[in-house]
Amino acid sequence: MIELLDNFSQLLITLLATIGAGILFYKRRVQAYLLLTCFFGTFMLGTLYWTLHFYLFNYTPQVFYVSELAWIASSMFLLTLEYTLSTPDEKKFRHPAVWLVPIFCIPQLILYLLHGDILFNLLICGLTMAVAWHSTRGLIYARRQSGEQRAMQYFHIVVLLIIILEYCLWTSSCFWISDTYTNPYFWFDFLLSVSLFALLPATKKAVGA
Amino acid sequence: MTYIENVFVCIAGPLLLATFFMGKKYYGVFFFCIAGMGACLLSAYVNTFFAKLYNADFINATTQIAPVVEEIMKLLPLLFYLLIFEPKPKKINIAVLIVAVSFATFENICYLIENGAAQLSFILVRGFGTGAMHIVCGAIASYSLVYVWQHSWLKVAGTFGLLGAAIIFHAIYNLLIAHGGLTQYIAYSLPVLTMIIGKVINGIYKSKHYA
Repeated sequence: MIELLDNFSQLLITLLATIGAGILFYKRRVQAYLLLTCFFGTFMLGTLYWTLHFYLFNYTPQVFYVSELAWIASSMFLLTLEYTLSTPDEKKFRHPAVWLVPIFCIPQLILYLLHGDILFNLLICGLTMAVAWHSTRGLIYARRQSGEQRAMQYFHIVVLLIIILEYCLWTSSCFWISDTYTNPYFWFDFLLSVSLFALLPATKKAVGA
Repeated sequence: MTYIENVFVCIAGPLLLATFFMGKKYYGVFFFCIAGMGACLLSAYVNTFFAKLYNADFINATTQIAPVVEEIMKLLPLLFYLLIFEPKPKKINIAVLIVAVSFATFENICYLIENGAAQLSFILVRGFGTGAMHIVCGAIASYSLVYVWQHSWLKVAGTFGLLGAAIIFHAIYNLLIAHGGLTQYIAYSLPVLTMIIGKVINGIYKSKHYA
């Protein structure tokens, strides 16, 4: 029951975020909003299939990559969005703190490779690491700026939050406790849904910066 | 057992011969027609391979393996065309739809050979359901690929995203049919409904922008 509630709430939130980002793109014709719409849209499609499968057959799809492909596509859109929003100076900026990303991600990737599918985990972890790398660099860079440029930090904070929550979610799925609310997996997923929606106002602020 | 490679030879033979007589102008049409049917033939082999590899039952094979394999196979000849020939946007549309139509036609022929053509109602459902579903997936790809391939920053993520969208649509259609009962009727009406909604939205968009 909790899994269905979790999936349906995430589906609804990402659907609303897709519509919101789509309206923003229709009104302002900004490239970043198109990428944001695509990010939310592909994420929502993956969740839609996952939720429908669980609703109709009472188990999640475990044989082949259907939702996973949509989620990989959504990570690609997020990476493209980050690249589009970053300034030339930000792209040249270097800071040793970005090495914290592989230190945090690689041990967990090894755990996922031991527990799950090799190809999917390599792809999704590689992409999320690239996204986290960009947002860590962007966050440090934005915090050193003044004025409107500093507003970019909110976008990077939300992106980092999404990545951290995704890793917590995947790690907790390796140690499945139960199908009740005591399972931290569901709480991470609820938090992920909220942080996904928070990306909409954060991107709006970043585009205005 | 259906010898689909024999069926393929039987259908592709006359098309191939006709290509030589129709002239250069029509090479593309015949090429995409044969490519679409070839993609369907190869999809059958690849589907069987993955179903055996993952030890998947019928439901898992149709709801999870087939949509991914078939949509990727349909995209491959188009990617070749886009990367090598760098065609004009209008030509991309036609190419995608020809591949989708020929894929659906070949799939329907194989289905009829295996299951017979006695029940008209079932064939109608097959034609306007599964056939239309392949067209919708093709339309999703064609209308958006034209936009995506005009913007270098969107090419990789956009193509992958479109592939994901087409796969999910295909997978949801198969999922609803596999579930049976009332949901399978929703599935059968889904492609035609999507086509109508798409046409209406397109009509509204055109009337607003070209008025």
